Amino acid sequence: MDLTGAFGARSAAVGACREPPGLESLHLGGGDGGFTALLELPPTQAVELLHFTDPSPSSSQAAVAGVGLDVSPPPPPLHAYGALTFPSNAALMERAARFSVMANEQQNGNVSGETTTTSSVPSNSDRVKTEPGETDSSQRLENNRCGIGKRKELDKKVKGSTKKKSKSSEELPYVHVRARRGQATDSHSLAERARREKINARMKLLQELVPGCDKIQGTALVLDEIINHVQSLQRQVEMLSMRLAAVNPRVDFNLDTLLASENCSLIDGSFNGTAMQLAWPHQVTETEQSFHHRQLQLQQPPQPQQWPYDGLNQPAWGREDDQGHGNEHNSLMAVSENLMVGSASLHPNQVKMEL
Amino acid sequence: MASADKPINTDVPEKDVFTLHFLQSLSNLRRQNTFNSPEKTNDRVKKIKKAAYVSMARAAGGTNRLWSRALLRRAAKENSKVVRFPRRKKRVTCLRRRRSNRRDPVEEEEAERLRNLVPGGGGMETSKLMEETAHYIKCLSMQVKVMQCLVDGLAPK
Repeated sequence: MDLTGAFGARSAAVGACREPPGLESLHLGGGDGGFTALLELPPTQAVELLHFTDPSPSSSQAAVAGVGLDVSPPPPPLHAYGALTFPSNAALMERAARFSVMANEQQNGNVSGETTTTSSVPSNSDRVKTEPGETDSSQRLENNRCGIGKRKELDKKVKGSTKKKSKSSEELPYVHVRARRGQATDSHSLAERARREKINARMKLLQELVPGCDKIQGTALVLDEIINHVQSLQRQVEMLSMRLAAVNPRVDFNLDTLLASENCSLIDGSFNGTAMQLAWPHQVTETEQSFHHRQLQLQQPPQPQQWPYDGLNQPAWGREDDQGHGNEHNSLMAVSENLMVGSASLHPNQVKMEL
Repeated sequence: MASADKPINTDVPEKDVFTLHFLQSLSNLRRQNTFNSPEKTNDRVKKIKKAAYVSMARAAGGTNRLWSRALLRRAAKENSKVVRFPRRKKRVTCLRRRRSNRRDPVEEEEAERLRNLVPGGGGMETSKLMEETAHYIKCLSMQVKVMQCLVDGLAPK
């Protein structure tokens, strides 16, 4: 295949652009044709390459001719890999890595055919003109490689495994932050700026959470507001716990009742719960697993026991069901109603039925 | 030092989970014999409050969150002896000592107050602190809702 020859020649031609020896061990499989090697790539990569906006063949030819390869294709492609932003570079280096592998394969495969680089270059340039479609990709690859090859620090990264590249492009252990105009570029202020951004992002999150914080400008006031909110919530918890303590002596928080009534349907569950309460009055150490297990058992509706307050309860729960306050109020009301009922059943002497 | 974070996760479980844990702890409390004696109201209040916090911590993700971990540890310690955690702020500053003034004095003061409020806040850097605060606020409001419903149910006036 022509492409094969082109590849092999290209790799030799750009030998000055230093092929990283470490990558020879990498094999993409299928070492016959450059194009098939291209096909071996993950499809996204291959498509990307083939659809890469390309310099015209003539300019690429000019690029290929010079070994020192000051890549002077029209600005956009160079820009693509001249940009300092990390992800494109990473993708590029990945490509470069892969293609240097392929180039190595080609070289190893076509060793016999290669004599001099210079002689092959003009023939390749001829081929370039005739088959722009196929060779453009290779041209671009070479351009990429050589464009990258000039930057020594990136070369060193190409040496690493491609896996590391893909990882570093997604989950950055560190990041190249582009300094904005007029801002300091030393590492300390960069890091500080990154940190600031993190803090600001979280501050925004908190602002959404705390009511009434959107209007406020300035981080100090927002933080004040947040602190006040946290304090008020804690005070509310304290208040409610005091009220609960006052209420508490009257009520028997029996676990089974509450769990059952909460998680089954409101009406069924309460009956079931009370039935269970009679069955297991003192089971307190309820783990979630055993609870779920019991919940499964509750699926078959057991007959509710003869319940002295049946007539009273049913309309109460039915009433609650209809009201549709919203789930929380409903379920918890049912729970607390159940509490009343439960305590009434077990301790009739103590109880004040509050329905 | 990464600038691009994955989205910050402050999900809080449904209120059922909270209710479950809280009622569990309450019934646990109930079983204690000395619980209902009317003289020791303050003790009871404190116990209920502590039960509320502990159950909230357990409900809200156990040991996945720093504040819940700190809360649970504190509660466990309180059973043996009344000791607060020493704040490890020194570690924070040493880790992040840099040349430029990284820290607004105003912001740091606020962060300090926040650290005092949020359990486990002493050992955290500011951004992590704010994450924990967000989660803590969500859980606190959930717990307040649960308790409010309970109180309303038990003593509807």
